[in-house]
Amino acid sequence: MTLAAYLIVAAAVFCCGLYGVLTRRNAIGMLIGVELMANAGNINLIAFSRFLGQVDGQVFTLFAIALTVAEVVVGLALVLLLYRSRKNIDVVQASEMKG
Amino acid sequence: MSTSLLILLTLFTPVGAALTLGLLPNFRRAGRPAEYLSVAAAFVSLIAATVLFIRQQLVSDATPLLDTHIRWLSHNGKSLVEVGATIDGISAPMLLVVALVAFCVQLYSMGYLAGESGDARGRYFTYQSLFIFAMEAMVVAPNAFQVFMGWELVGMCSYLLIGHYYQKPSAARASLKAFWVTKFADMGLLFGLLVLFTVGGSFGWDSTTVTSLGSSGATAVAALFLLAVVGKSAQFPLHIWLPDAMEGPTPVSALLHAATMVAAGVYLIVRTYPIFAAAPDVLTVMAYLGAFTAFFAACVAMVQTDIKKLLAYSTCSQLGYMVAALGTGSLMGGYFHLSTHACFKALLFLAAGSFIHAVHSNEMENMGGLWAKMKLSAILFIIGSLALAGLPGLSGFFSKEVILEELSHSGHALPFVACMLTAGMTAFYMTKACLLAIFGPPSEGARHAHESPKTMLLPMGILAALSLVAGFGGTMLAQMYGVEYAFHFGTTGIIATALGFAGIGLALFAYLPSRRANNPFGALTSVGSFIRYGAVDRTAAFAYRNGLCKIGAAIGWFDRYVVDGVMNLTGWLPLVAAQRLRRIQTGVVTDYVYGVIVGLIVLIAMGTVFK
Repeated sequence: MTLAAYLIVAAAVFCCGLYGVLTRRNAIGMLIGVELMANAGNINLIAFSRFLGQVDGQVFTLFAIALTVAEVVVGLALVLLLYRSRKNIDVVQASEMKG
Repeated sequence: MSTSLLILLTLFTPVGAALTLGLLPNFRRAGRPAEYLSVAAAFVSLIAATVLFIRQQLVSDATPLLDTHIRWLSHNGKSLVEVGATIDGISAPMLLVVALVAFCVQLYSMGYLAGESGDARGRYFTYQSLFIFAMEAMVVAPNAFQVFMGWELVGMCSYLLIGHYYQKPSAARASLKAFWVTKFADMGLLFGLLVLFTVGGSFGWDSTTVTSLGSSGATAVAALFLLAVVGKSAQFPLHIWLPDAMEGPTPVSALLHAATMVAAGVYLIVRTYPIFAAAPDVLTVMAYLGAFTAFFAACVAMVQTDIKKLLAYSTCSQLGYMVAALGTGSLMGGYFHLSTHACFKALLFLAAGSFIHAVHSNEMENMGGLWAKMKLSAILFIIGSLALAGLPGLSGFFSKEVILEELSHSGHALPFVACMLTAGMTAFYMTKACLLAIFGPPSEGARHAHESPKTMLLPMGILAALSLVAGFGGTMLAQMYGVEYAFHFGTTGIIATALGFAGIGLALFAYLPSRRANNPFGALTSVGSFIRYGAVDRTAAFAYRNGLCKIGAAIGWFDRYVVDGVMNLTGWLPLVAAQRLRRIQTGVVTDYVYGVIVGLIVLIAMGTVFK
């Protein structure tokens, strides 16, 4: 398998995630999209690490995963608060910050 | 007693009195104690100044008796400005003159203001004491910066004292007029200081500074200083404030507006003479300007009916003599005349104040017949008049002689002729004043007049004695100034004296009581009021209304619409922009993500293009 194949997969995953973020009105759905985009980055890191023969990328990925988990925790907490205050988690309806 | 202690006593007793009175309102308002404190302070100052003068006189060569500096505003180890005191052959005589006239006037004021409230008297003596300090600090200044500080302080005191009767609208206006006119001229001193420091490298007038100033720098500084002198010493065309300043109490006119403060301008030239000497063009201007002022002011003085205004124009005229003399390079002429003039003009004002005190009017025709009631004051006034007129043997004769002699050798023909004529005119108007005020037909006011108290007569006596003998001090003063002087009564002197006698004769011919009915000069009075109100004051008022006010209005318009407009525009633009831009804040998270993506693409594109 060439490096290009890994990168193509990563790009595909990233695009899926981006599509999800842009189209989903459900906050949890958007969060899943964000996760996909983050993991696309992780795939890239691992792929380069393997093909360049350096371990840095893999270590970096471990940290990135840990950070992503923390991010999801915050994100889900926000979603929970949003649900409590509005009884739904539709991001389009939650537009009080409109200028 | 050490010299430093003496100078401290000279300077700080008056300001101590002023501060005490200023900080203790109840003490000040008591009136009488405030007077005693001020007079005592002026007396201590006079004694210390006299001792300093004698000590400086005993120093045979021109070395300063005292030259002490205190660093002020230190910067990188160098001092930007120094304050201190210099007692040398130039400052010691002036210090004595100031302290002497100040003491006489303070003593006189006790009698003159006796009828006023304690509050007014306390205020008056506070300002007078402050003035004495400011003037003395200016006189002993070791550099032009301290001169400037003293100069502004005496200007402020002048403003405050002219407005002593501030309930009178005319006095309030006169004090403002004096303030603005002199303040306009003071710009010259300020800018002169700036040029002196930036080009010359210091605030001094020593040879190093003058050398680094160069010819053009010295001319600039001297011309700017001359502007300040024209304002302070009431030279044409900025003399307009001085006659109005007569609204103040008469002792103020004697001390500030005759003897010392108006002479500050002349003293400034004397003090910074090394700079003026390097600017021959400015000296020529001074010779012509001074002579013109002397002549012009004498013309106006001839037709005055108000005794104080007559004396005020006479002061302008005599200051013109001094400026003209300094313009010909004669330090002796200018400075000697300053000293003698301080004595006899202060005397004249005090004697005139004595008349005013008795008849409650400034008009000479209301004073007629005072000879019978106030012989002492009248004799003192006549002594002052004769000294001013230049009667041989009196002080004015000697000092005027030097000036005319110098002018005749200077090669400036026109100023010489003007000053010669002025000598005759001076004799004319002073004789006229004597005849009208003292020997005129008995007036209503003079009927109830009575001689002034001793506190007023004593200081006048001191000044009269000096007016009689000060002329013989010329050799001693010349030695202190470090210039050559030997009295010489030549053709110039004979002609000037003859002109003086002609003036006296003409005045007797016109104004002797027996001849009043057919006075040939009656028509002159209307001409004079035209000269006074029609010409200079109206020109000044016209220039003020159409020049300064228009410029002010234009600047005001520019400020309101252009400067403020730019300010408002810079405030208005972001406001409008923000109003428009708030629409892109939709509140929908997805839109923000679109924004992020667009931004990302733009950044990547820029990274690719501008690699």
